[in-house]
Formats: sequence, C-alpha cells, structure tokens
Amino acid sequence: MPSLKDIKTQINSVGSTKKITSAMKMVAASKLRRSQEKAEAARPYSSRLEEMLSSLATSASSGEGIIKLLTGTGEDQNYIVVPVSADRGLCGGFNSSINRETFKLVKKLESENKKVQLLPIGKKSRDFFLRTLKENITDSFVDTNVSSAGYNIALEISAKLQSLYFEGKFDKCILVYNKFKSAISQEVTQQQLIPLDISNKNNEDKSNETESSNKAIYTYEPDEETILQDLLPKNVSIQIFKVLLESDAGEQGARMAAMDNATRNAGEMIDSLTLKYNRTRQAFITKELIEIISGAESI
Amino acid sequence: MAKISFDLVSPENLIFNDEVGMIIVPGKDGDIGVLPGHSKLISSLRSGRVMVYGENKDLLKSFFVSGGFAEVNPEKCIVLGETVEEMNSLDKNSIEKEIQELQNKDTDESKQKILIANAKIEALNASFYEKI
Repeated sequence: MPSLKDIKTQINSVGSTKKITSAMKMVAASKLRRSQEKAEAARPYSSRLEEMLSSLATSASSGEGIIKLLTGTGEDQNYIVVPVSADRGLCGGFNSSINRETFKLVKKLESENKKVQLLPIGKKSRDFFLRTLKENITDSFVDTNVSSAGYNIALEISAKLQSLYFEGKFDKCILVYNKFKSAISQEVTQQQLIPLDISNKNNEDKSNETESSNKAIYTYEPDEETILQDLLPKNVSIQIFKVLLESDAGEQGARMAAMDNATRNAGEMIDSLTLKYNRTRQAFITKELIEIISGAESI
Repeated sequence: MAKISFDLVSPENLIFNDEVGMIIVPGKDGDIGVLPGHSKLISSLRSGRVMVYGENKDLLKSFFVSGGFAEVNPEKCIVLGETVEEMNSLDKNSIEKEIQELQNKDTDESKQKILIANAKIEALNASFYEKI
C-alpha cells in the first residue's frame, strides 16, 4: 500500500501537469484564432486566381516550358510526395496521421514500380522519414512558421519544387496535408499539385459554373499564353501557401483538442487520487484507533 | 456617374474593396485605365502604380504592386498583386539603401529584388496621372 506521502506527491505532479496542459490549450486557442484569420484573409486571392486559371486553362494546348505545369510531362514514373506536418508535437494524431498516410502512399506507389522522392515540410515528418525512408528524401523544409513568415516561405518551397520539376526530377507532385475542417477535426488530404488537376477543381467550385459559361469573351493582354506563363508558377506558390495556412490552423486546432483532453484526464486523475488519499488516511486512523483500544483493553 | 467595384488583393489579405470611379493599372504592355463598363479583360501586370480615383476623377489612393494580374469586367475590377504596398508608406531613402545592399550580393534573388526596388523608385518619382 502506498504511503500517504507518495499519493500526495502524485497528486501534486498531476496537478502541475494539468496546469501546463490547460495553459497550452489557451495558447493554442488564441493561435488558432489568428491562424484562422490568416487563412480567411488569403482566401480571396487564391479563389480569384483559381477562377482566372480555370477560364484560361481550357485554352492551353500541350506545350513546352512553363505550360508543362498544367499539362504534365506526359509521363507517370517519378513522383515527389510532400507531407506537410507541424514542427512541434503534443497535438494528438495530427503529425502521426500525416506520416502514416504518406508512408502508405509511398509504399503503394513503390509497389507499382514508380520512383518516389520525399520532400517533407515540418520537423515531425522530416524526423519520421529520416528514420524510415531516409534514401527517398531529396530535401526538407523545417521551421516554416507560416503564421509569421507569411507568403515568402511558400515562394521558397514553390521555387524549389519548380526547379526540380524543370530539371526533370519528377513527373507528379502530391501534397499530403491536414485539411482544416473545423477547430476539432482535420482531414488528411492528398492534393496533386503538379501537373495541375483541373478536373478536380471544377468539381469543387460548382457554384462558379454559371459564371464560367460567359467567360469565353475575355480579351487577353498581352496574350493567353504569356498570362498562363505568369499565372501557373504563381498558382503553385499560392496553392502551397494555402496548404501551409490550413495545416497551421489545423495544428492549432488539433493541439487545442488534445490539450483539452489532457486537462480533463488530469482532472479525473486528481479526483480519483484524492479519493484514494482520503481512504488511505481514514484507514490509517482506524488502524491506529484499533491499536490504541486493543492496547487499552489488554491492560 | 456610374461606379465600378474594385478589389485589390495580395496573397496575404484583401487590401482594398470599394466602389470607385476609375482605376489605372500597370499592364504589361502599357497602363490600362478602367472605367465602369469596361470590356472583359485579363491582363498580367508589371511592377508599378495602381491608382484609384473617385467619381470626380480625384485621386483616392495609390498603391505599388510588384507584378500580378488584373481581371476586368463591366461591373468589377480585380487586381491580384504579388506584393502590395501603399505609395505613402514607401520611403525613398530606405529603398535606395536597400538597393545598395542588394548590389553587393550577386544572386538571382537579389537581382529580382533590385528590379522591384528600382520600379519602386521609378513609381515614387512619377507624377503623371496624379491630376486628371
């Protein structure tokens, strides 16, 4: 039977853990609000860019150079997978689900005899793949910290991806990230970044379809192809930016939920420990009383 | 006089959104003046000034954009700028200092930055379109 002192120390340590987790929950909640605002603010740009692109994309024929971002290389052999995780832990299944999903995807592609490279974003996935699939990693980005660094980090990643693409290092690029559904739920999503998946996009914004029907009569300046050549690389960066922001908001949400759970569990644990403490204390008193009484009787 | 709705958007947020009288955007092949009822147009932009006018052709605001796109239809004009700054917030001295620092480096990135910084200086020196 543990002594009273043991239980007391245990209660104290659980109590201080509870304090930490509840503080982390508060921090995550306020960060979540900020990340959500950021994601919200970035939405007009990306949605308008998509609109513009979808009205232009139909006019693109297969070609050389930058247009390849849209039409693809015509091959399907080399893949690059970009898992987007957080830099820090303590956010429930947020990172592990990304890693698990990516790992599965890589194995599946490899079983189809494709070559797969990895470009992890975020410490947690980099460390995981350094342990498991070290030879596949081409490069990695950590400490992205999108909420303060903003758009520049997305530009950096997109420049890296595009230079790899135009060197012919890969044919398809797939992002794996946590889509922000609500503060408490994230969904692991795969998105094909290069070549651009337009069919997918059209399904997403069905609401815009009425608009797109009268898009044909635009004047293009200088001309469609030049605009596409500017637009496509920009779209890659914007997509990455959007994914980084969503993932950041998702991370804060996941952390908030995880810490909320931890706080509640700690509270329950304290309750049960306090009960145990009181029982033990009573048991001791009873025992002592019995000893005194039986001692007195025997005289 | 009719009004046209104007959105100025940067990747990070929506900067300007209001009904205005006229906008001048720096198109790649030359400046484009957009009045209400402008025909449908999509253009890419060079670095330069986006000028926003009220109904009486009085200059409301001017911004500096470093490249981007503009989409125009009769009711609406949308400018997607790569980076957007208000002209008033630009300071000539600090930009010149920046250019000097950048000239010491010799990377593709710094060259691009110099181009943008030069465009900023040019925009600051330009006085046309201020009164119409």
